Amino acid sequence: MNSTFTITENTNRIWFLLIKNLKSMIRDKAQLVWLLGYPTLFIALFAFAYGSDVFAIMGPGLLITGPVVIISQLTSHFAEEKELGTLQRLTTTPVSRETILLSGLASQLVVGAIQIVVLLILASLFGASFHPDGNVVILFLIPFLVTFTSLGFGLILASFIKNASSAGGLAWFVILPLQFLGGSFMEEPIIDFLPTSLAVEAMKEVMVFGNMTFEAIGLNLILIALWGIAGIALGITLFQRKTAIL
Amino acid sequence: MKWLETNQIILVTKLEYAIETHGLKKYFGKIHAVDGIDLRIPKGSLYGVLGPNGAGKSTAIRMLSTILYPTDGSATVLGYDLRNERNKIKKLIGVCPQELVVYPRLTARENIHLIAQMHGIAKKDYKERTDELLGKMNLLNRADSLSKTYSGGMKRRLNVLMAVIHEPELLFFDEPTAGLDPQSRRVVWDFIKSFQERKSTIILTTHSMEEADDLSDKLTIFDHGKIIATGTPQELKGRLGEGDNIEFKVANPEMRENIIERVKTLDFVRGGKHLGKQRIVLNALGGLRRISEIMDSVKVEMYDISVRENTLEDVFIDLTGRRLRN
Repeated sequence: MNSTFTITENTNRIWFLLIKNLKSMIRDKAQLVWLLGYPTLFIALFAFAYGSDVFAIMGPGLLITGPVVIISQLTSHFAEEKELGTLQRLTTTPVSRETILLSGLASQLVVGAIQIVVLLILASLFGASFHPDGNVVILFLIPFLVTFTSLGFGLILASFIKNASSAGGLAWFVILPLQFLGGSFMEEPIIDFLPTSLAVEAMKEVMVFGNMTFEAIGLNLILIALWGIAGIALGITLFQRKTAIL
Repeated sequence: MKWLETNQIILVTKLEYAIETHGLKKYFGKIHAVDGIDLRIPKGSLYGVLGPNGAGKSTAIRMLSTILYPTDGSATVLGYDLRNERNKIKKLIGVCPQELVVYPRLTARENIHLIAQMHGIAKKDYKERTDELLGKMNLLNRADSLSKTYSGGMKRRLNVLMAVIHEPELLFFDEPTAGLDPQSRRVVWDFIKSFQERKSTIILTTHSMEEADDLSDKLTIFDHGKIIATGTPQELKGRLGEGDNIEFKVANPEMRENIIERVKTLDFVRGGKHLGKQRIVLNALGGLRRISEIMDSVKVEMYDISVRENTLEDVFIDLTGRRLRN
């Protein structure tokens, strides 16, 4: 960060931009539908089609469908900022590009956290059973780590996409493979090392078996976090390069 | 640390120019968008920048407003180096882009507040000032509606307000009245002028010759990435001679070249004589009689005759030609 911007000034700017982003998201009905409606639909459809017993097998995977949608949200957010010219307008004010990026990521994390809480409540309303030994904080943390990982994927996509309309569509070329291959809609993941696969397995351990030992979920959580760190680092590098002042 | 002698006096000179550039260039590959411009824009002036599409004026403005880096050359903006002191410059400038750059799902008030917050202005100050500005631009009654519900003209006025909330020392307006109706245009003009009265320096890019003529203290005309003319609107119009333009249509268009050749032989056509304003009309009328005699001699009827003073548009066309640009 530039030394001429003080930490307090930058913290304030991140806060104001975060509020701006959240207001924009809440006022966009289409975004809300994708964010909450799409995973809710899956939970409701599975419950309707197979009864509440399905959650013993599919519940962990279904709860991971929501956090992956953040990829589309973040891609659209930055693509819209580029398309509208607001990203460029902001760079003519004393706000650093890092601040703009951080606020964009932070707002998606806030929305992601709300989404996870809503989905956990909905799943239990539709009859999903949670093992009594399973800690609710861990049940929140696992999908939240997937949200964090999704930011990296979203940022990488946002670096290359210039308009919001194509961003929403193209993001699904990443979201759907992550969901299907990661076992969101199946009993077992197809590819083991994806962040979604790791999360589905960890969720199953906690939600179904109440097993929260490091041996059971620790490595998975570390690997998901590493996916996120690597993705965000690559995403920031690419985004900075693609939107750099020439 | 530099120790000063006890009898040494340091005088800090007043900044004379808001912008000074020396051989400023911007290349995009083989395209020389700005090809070595030397500009001196006096502090407190309202400086117009004209040029055909693709002439390089917007690229120059984008460089000076920190959106682009120069390829070569040097520049200072409000005394700060354009390459190395960009963050200091950003605190002192306001940029009103050509496009309507507003957040669609924020209200007008929220859009303006956001820019104020980025500049670190105290809440009490920006809230008060936002209402004052919205009132001036006749947007107060819709201040809490989402800007996506605004008409194009309302968005354009909001676009202007977002550039000025922090009372910048230097303002860049890139075609601020494009697409506005005459009433809104006047409101924006008066608004821009009010900032000049506050001693801000204003750089105005426009395609409206009327706007440039009416607002600018001084003008620069760009073409092919270079500055091709600089002066006050009056000085630039004077380049075409001090007389009037006589326009008329002819019934036989095929005779145009012939008529032009004959008329050009008349001594008052582009004569460059120093004529008083009253005499211009008399001379023009006298000229009309002689032009009419030529038309009679070649048996061509003339109609829709008008006599008018030179305009900036005449200067613009004279300097940049009639050919369309890519």
